[in-house]
Amino acid sequence: MPRIVLEHVTKCFDKFVAVDDLNLVIEDRDFITLLGPSGCGKTTTLRMIAGLETPTKGRITIGDTVVFDSEEGIDISPAKRDIGFLFQNYALWPHMTVYDNIAFGLENLKWPKKKIEERVKEMMAMLKIEQFEKRFPSELSGGQQQRVAIARTLAPKPRVLFMDEPLSNLDAKLRLEMRSELKRLHVDTDSTFVYVTHDQLEAMALATKICLMNKAVLQQYDPPLVVYNKPVNLFVADFVGNPTMNFINATGERKGFNDVFVHMLGKDLVFHSSETIDGDVSDLVIGIRPEFVKLGEGNFNGVVYTTLPSGMETTVKVKHGEDMVTSVVFGSVDFSHSLDMPFSIVSDNIIMFEKASGKRIAIGSLS
Amino acid sequence: MARKKSTRVLNNVRSYISKPANVITILFFIILLTTVCLPLLTLVRDSVVVHSGEIRDIGKPVGSFTMYHWATLLFEKLYNYSIITFWRPLLNSVMMAIVSCIVAVGFGGTVAWFITRSDIPGKKFLSTIFVFPYIMPSWSIAMFWENFFKNSNIVACYNQVGMLESFTGLCVPEWMLYGFFPCAMCLGIHYAPFAYLLIGGILRNMDANLEEAATVLKASRFKIIRKITLPIVMPALISTVLLVFSSSISSYTVPSFLNKNGSFPTISTTMRSLFNTASMQGQGFVVAIILLVFSVVILKLNDKFTGKRKSFTTVSGKSGQVSLVKLGKGRIPFTAVIMIISVFFAIVPLVSFALESLLEVPGDYSTISLYYWTTSNTLEDRVFGSSQGILRNPTIWAALGRSLLLSVIVALISGTFGILIGYAAARKRGSRLARWVSNMAFFPYLIPAMSFGAVYLSVAYTNTFSFLRGSLLLLIIVGGIKFLPFASKSGANSMMQLSGEIEEAALIMGVPWWKRMLKVLFPIQKASFISGYLLPFISCMRELSLFVLLATPGSIITVVLQDFEVNGLTQISNGINFLIIMIVLLVQLITNKLTGASIDKGIGG
Repeated sequence: MPRIVLEHVTKCFDKFVAVDDLNLVIEDRDFITLLGPSGCGKTTTLRMIAGLETPTKGRITIGDTVVFDSEEGIDISPAKRDIGFLFQNYALWPHMTVYDNIAFGLENLKWPKKKIEERVKEMMAMLKIEQFEKRFPSELSGGQQQRVAIARTLAPKPRVLFMDEPLSNLDAKLRLEMRSELKRLHVDTDSTFVYVTHDQLEAMALATKICLMNKAVLQQYDPPLVVYNKPVNLFVADFVGNPTMNFINATGERKGFNDVFVHMLGKDLVFHSSETIDGDVSDLVIGIRPEFVKLGEGNFNGVVYTTLPSGMETTVKVKHGEDMVTSVVFGSVDFSHSLDMPFSIVSDNIIMFEKASGKRIAIGSLS
Repeated sequence: MARKKSTRVLNNVRSYISKPANVITILFFIILLTTVCLPLLTLVRDSVVVHSGEIRDIGKPVGSFTMYHWATLLFEKLYNYSIITFWRPLLNSVMMAIVSCIVAVGFGGTVAWFITRSDIPGKKFLSTIFVFPYIMPSWSIAMFWENFFKNSNIVACYNQVGMLESFTGLCVPEWMLYGFFPCAMCLGIHYAPFAYLLIGGILRNMDANLEEAATVLKASRFKIIRKITLPIVMPALISTVLLVFSSSISSYTVPSFLNKNGSFPTISTTMRSLFNTASMQGQGFVVAIILLVFSVVILKLNDKFTGKRKSFTTVSGKSGQVSLVKLGKGRIPFTAVIMIISVFFAIVPLVSFALESLLEVPGDYSTISLYYWTTSNTLEDRVFGSSQGILRNPTIWAALGRSLLLSVIVALISGTFGILIGYAAARKRGSRLARWVSNMAFFPYLIPAMSFGAVYLSVAYTNTFSFLRGSLLLLIIVGGIKFLPFASKSGANSMMQLSGEIEEAALIMGVPWWKRMLKVLFPIQKASFISGYLLPFISCMRELSLFVLLATPGSIITVVLQDFEVNGLTQISNGINFLIIMIVLLVQLITNKLTGASIDKGIGG
């Protein structure tokens, strides 16, 4: 079964580097999301694996086949890579009916007519689009077009399925619905999914592993919860999670292998980690997830700046001197502005970043 | 009560007039009604009344009603008159138009595909030179064809030796030089850039994902073109075919240059000679009407094919990432063939015009001299005015000056009108009057150039407007209206792109209308507005068919050129053509460098 390996893959458009020396192993049956802000190179990466874009340098292997190697001059056409591709705008052929759109790929595989008909019917039933068989794409809604596109892509049973922001053109409600259907589809079809998105919630919800990129460079490649709890640098910590992580400037002084004296929010604290702390601790950024900020009691004294209730949970911003601290409270609460609000920071998942490099140097607790 | 009502009406009128878009709409409704619609009525009238030269044949006084013109032209059996003067030329024109369509779309479409979809090298160079034949006057390719293929075996070209014969000794048979085949080929090559611009535009805007989706689903290259690309560009293709067809069928210049042996009369050359014969003018007007009906039918068909449901406008976020088809082993031969053909029809003609004007004995390259440019001898008595060398010839220089003046005025008129009409159409979107105005502004596009000339010829024959006959003013009006569609189209497109808020922001700050136009709207869409001036200028500078019925001998440069050409002074006609092309190219190049405007921006179909 296919395992996708990217080795030193680089893509330049003239002088602009879109993807820089990317190394990645996608295991069979993974659901990988390529995540990052727009222009970070995630779509380019996907298109290179699919064969729609030619890398400038590097080597790509799908299963046992080298599909691209810049040194040996190998570049296998997308048609021979045995893949499916779902485009952001669906790319349904406007002059063909729903049936013809789905059948087209099977015709190319020279399936017998009877089998094509069976398969198309099966796909239309699976995606609940039977009643649109004779319609043209322009006569369908966005969500229906999306389903046709999925049916078309899945019909030839590709072993690897590539998706380029397939949900971004749908409205919020439909997007949530399709999201769970895609995840179900991954289980049902038993194939490898590679999925591009800029929506970190989508990436968290869908993926078995997230590949987070920024400015053409791979930042972190881990399962979603690892990315969330152990971000390797400030960019990852900032990009993943909503509301975003609190970043508080601090100064520090080494106390031993596992402890650092930290001066932050006007207090002297001790940061304790279970592992040895490496790196420069004099200038630090301390990262605290909003759910670790407990409101109501504690030794920090802040003032409520604004409260944003969303029903199930409430985001509260508390001003503490020059710093702003965000907290998430379960349930609906509504604090009045300028209310005095003591808070504490409770967790052993507090993250210490080196300020100069932005790298994570420790995970631990504050006391 | 009544007073109250009248003040309310007055106030309504006042507030209606206070909006510039309303004033412009009404103004142009009136202007276009008098310049486009009313002349059409006089044209129809002229086809059913007796003219002064026709009294003897018809036996009725001047101005009385008669169906003689229609009946004679279409149904006269004596000596096969109607077959010879109407039906056969019509058939010739249709055949010529069909073949030229195939050539233009096949050639232009292929090059468009290679430039937009493949990794062919030298794209920038190719796309620049490929539009040359369209920028050149329409007879240039015909003239070049003659320069290239004429040979000592053919009497009709005065046995002059052409390039092919002098380099290789080959003499082509007469059917390759004059008649159906060369006319169709030359028109096809002339309109190939037009097809290239239209089809290329669609290919460029077409969502590349549509083709990629088929690639991923294992469709072969050929199958993708056949099943995906072609059906999607089909509406544009049909539209191109129809436009080329309607332009070719009424083309006058090419058949008049390549019919020196008289074997290939077309509907437009026939029309010209009918108008030149005093006793047959009425029949000329009939032909003009029939040609006009042809064009209108074709354009209606075009609307039908490019209607909303049939046209596939595809909007995509990621079409910029077009993956180009790799030509692989075919790269070098494909490139070579396309380059050679393009250079042959874009650059070699220029060289040939310059060269032909320098040869004292055509075809003999040892006789290169400036004789035909500098001599003060009279070379030929039959031409109108002076026939001295080009540089010393007062007739040529005066005509060139008048042509330049005419083109500048025409460009100013149609460019400015176009912007204003575009502005009104964009601001008053949905209003019926505004739609009428923009439809009327587009109407002259549908009318074949010669028919349009005929329309105004009939106006100039009325007593009221007889002062227009043969005047420069008449040419200015005709040119200004005929080239209005280009300008109003580019004006409307660029205005539609601007959201109303941009102007409203200035309106709220109390900026007067003219200042909003000059300081806000114009600078933002500078390039496309200037294209709206450039295209009429270029078209007017090289126009012959439109003016040929109206202009007096020696009045404008293209008429002078034709005079020298038909009288066998090909050195001078080549030299003049070279001058015209250089002026047009230079103006286009300078404008492009200074403002970024170019003619392909103005061509929208």
